[in-house]
Amino acid sequence: MVLLYLALGTLFGFVLSRSGAADYDFIQGMFLLTNFQLYGIIGSAVAITAPSLWLLKRYGKTLTGKPLVVELKPGHRGNVVGGILFGVGWSITGMCPGPILVNIGEGKIYALAALAGGLIGAAVFGVAYPRLQQPMGLPLLARGTGDG
Amino acid sequence: MLILHDMQAIHWVFAGLGISFVTLALLAIANRRLGVSTGFEDVCSLVLDAPYFKRSAVTGGRPWRLPLLGGLVIGGVLSAVLGGGWSPMWDLGMFDTEIGWWPGGKVVWMFVGGLFIGFGTRLAGGCTSGHGIFGLSNLEIPSLVTTVSFMASGVVTTNFLYRVIL
Repeated sequence: MVLLYLALGTLFGFVLSRSGAADYDFIQGMFLLTNFQLYGIIGSAVAITAPSLWLLKRYGKTLTGKPLVVELKPGHRGNVVGGILFGVGWSITGMCPGPILVNIGEGKIYALAALAGGLIGAAVFGVAYPRLQQPMGLPLLARGTGDG
Repeated sequence: MLILHDMQAIHWVFAGLGISFVTLALLAIANRRLGVSTGFEDVCSLVLDAPYFKRSAVTGGRPWRLPLLGGLVIGGVLSAVLGGGWSPMWDLGMFDTEIGWWPGGKVVWMFVGGLFIGFGTRLAGGCTSGHGIFGLSNLEIPSLVTTVSFMASGVVTTNFLYRVIL
């Protein structure tokens, strides 16, 4: 199974690299509303995934016959506040979490700094969780804000 | 054109198809929900003892998320190698032409941006993949709220930088 995840990650990374989804200029073009490419990528990915996902859930089993259950992400104030903070970071770096790793693979040295920041940011969040829980309306620690 | 070897980008529909394939394969084969930012927590959990990183949602995801993250790096390496060769670079497209900072400045810029990404995605409970691709495809309201939030904030930030300051 490790090889499967490695292979899927590799395909994912290759596609992100060659499509512009991991490219600083394409990301700025998306946010400047001058380049349609990223809207096309995300839009078509959702348009293709949504009906297929619905069918898979209806079928209710994985290919190995195990139950297929999609756990929903909780809603909370962190969706808005965290989303806004992440948007600032995506704009500054031109990378979201997946493309940070893709850019490191491509040889872009500065992406290592973005990864360091990302890991420290996630670490700070995890350590601060008990203090953020009440003001952000976050779920119990055991559940967290949602995996993804 | 891509910054990487000035390659022409593939058509967006092929990228959409590829991302859908990965998303659906993860779900259909292993009942996994696509997501990258939780992988950052998985990495943190290897060295940090805080209760947040001892949750089963984090530690239980390591066996699949860490290989997925590793694959993303390999995908980038392959893309460079097959596209004209791999070599370390500092190239940053319009940042170079419009802002033009030296490498040290880029490192600070990227590190600060990374802090926003790491903290923000985890507070929101996901990033472009977990909320934007999977959550929207699954018609989840928190994912719509998050996606609208990060897109709007990105539009404001980039426009502020390139159209107001510069």
